[in-house]
Amino acid sequence: MSVPRTCLFLALALALASRAHAQERAYFVTYDHYLEEPGNLEIAVATTTGVPRGNDSSYSAPWIELEYGITGWWTAELYLEGVTTRSDGSGFTGWRWENRFRPLKSEHRINPVLYLEYENINEASRIQKEIVGSGSLPFEPIADLREEHVHELEVKLILSSALAAWNLSENVIVEKNLSQDEGLEFGYSVGVSRSLGGLASGSACHFCRENFVAGVEAYGGLGTSLERSLSDTRHFIAPVIAWHITDRSTLKASTAFGLTDASDRYLVRVGWAYELSTRGRK
Amino acid sequence: MSTQAARRLVIAQAIIGMVAAAGASLTVVRAQVRGRDSAWSAPAEAAARVNPLLNRPGAAAGGEKLFQHRCATCHGEDGRGTSKAPDLMQPDVQAQSDGALLWKISSGNTHGGMPAFSFLPEPQRWQLVLRLRHME
Repeated sequence: MSVPRTCLFLALALALASRAHAQERAYFVTYDHYLEEPGNLEIAVATTTGVPRGNDSSYSAPWIELEYGITGWWTAELYLEGVTTRSDGSGFTGWRWENRFRPLKSEHRINPVLYLEYENINEASRIQKEIVGSGSLPFEPIADLREEHVHELEVKLILSSALAAWNLSENVIVEKNLSQDEGLEFGYSVGVSRSLGGLASGSACHFCRENFVAGVEAYGGLGTSLERSLSDTRHFIAPVIAWHITDRSTLKASTAFGLTDASDRYLVRVGWAYELSTRGRK
Repeated sequence: MSTQAARRLVIAQAIIGMVAAAGASLTVVRAQVRGRDSAWSAPAEAAARVNPLLNRPGAAAGGEKLFQHRCATCHGEDGRGTSKAPDLMQPDVQAQSDGALLWKISSGNTHGGMPAFSFLPEPQRWQLVLRLRHME
């Protein structure tokens, strides 16, 4: 789809849509059990900026995310991603199609969600929406890395709990490269967050504490089925903060600190999401 | 009957037809309000909880703001329901205890399309319950 057509589509979608409240999670990597409301479409743009160790060039990996609530128990998402570097070039790095299914009807102490994703990406992908397996990122010219296409299937078990004012989420990740036999790659992420507000104020306000959610997440690789070792795996710990600017839009940011030699030194993530209801009110 | 009288008759019939059609469509719109899931009920322990904000009248204004942000898209700005979610002024909704309403707001009914709002701090969910009690 050309850029003018994409803009026209987005403008039409915004014009036809009615209000929907953003309930964007604060995490960038960890998933909780809250799915998109049925009929709501969330359009998000975000970027991961990485500062590697050593002399490798820093990079920025932007992505666009379209998340749609198909039913109360099924949310689907499409990602389009790219990368740009200071000296190694830029380019489109692929797309991902993800689905999340919530099998239980109501809230429990631990709420499971099943996550299935197909990835059609290339080796230049650096958004790092999940980290699995072992080894550091490949730092070669982007044009060369884009020649190496990868088809992957990813499954996550998401476990999430609402504990008083806190959310606690744990994700177990298994990924299979369908293009090459690399065995199964494993990963994890865990996150804890809470709203900074108590009672909601009666007036409209942008900077009230109730509009902010803060937390911390940790994520990393757990090796592969062929090489059962944690050596050379990447791990990060990242404080996160989200600001519900309006009832439709959320801005969030995070700085992840690399904990091992294989990890980049820092990952700075910034994202903005806008949510709208496509079904409107009848 | 003269030509002019016949024309007036046709116009009158058309107007009556349009009014009838509008009335019928209003009835259809009213009928499109989603019904309540009568099988969905709160556990007795949750239903017995008392709203700690009952003596905090100032909290209701925050409840109205939360309602418009979180609930109005599906239940309508006046809570009268839409095709996506039921009328919250129905007697069988209002007859439920504060604790039962809090449990339903918190838990959701994902298979019925109602999201869980347990990500809101509990005081805010109680504010929503206050709002539901003042829906006139």
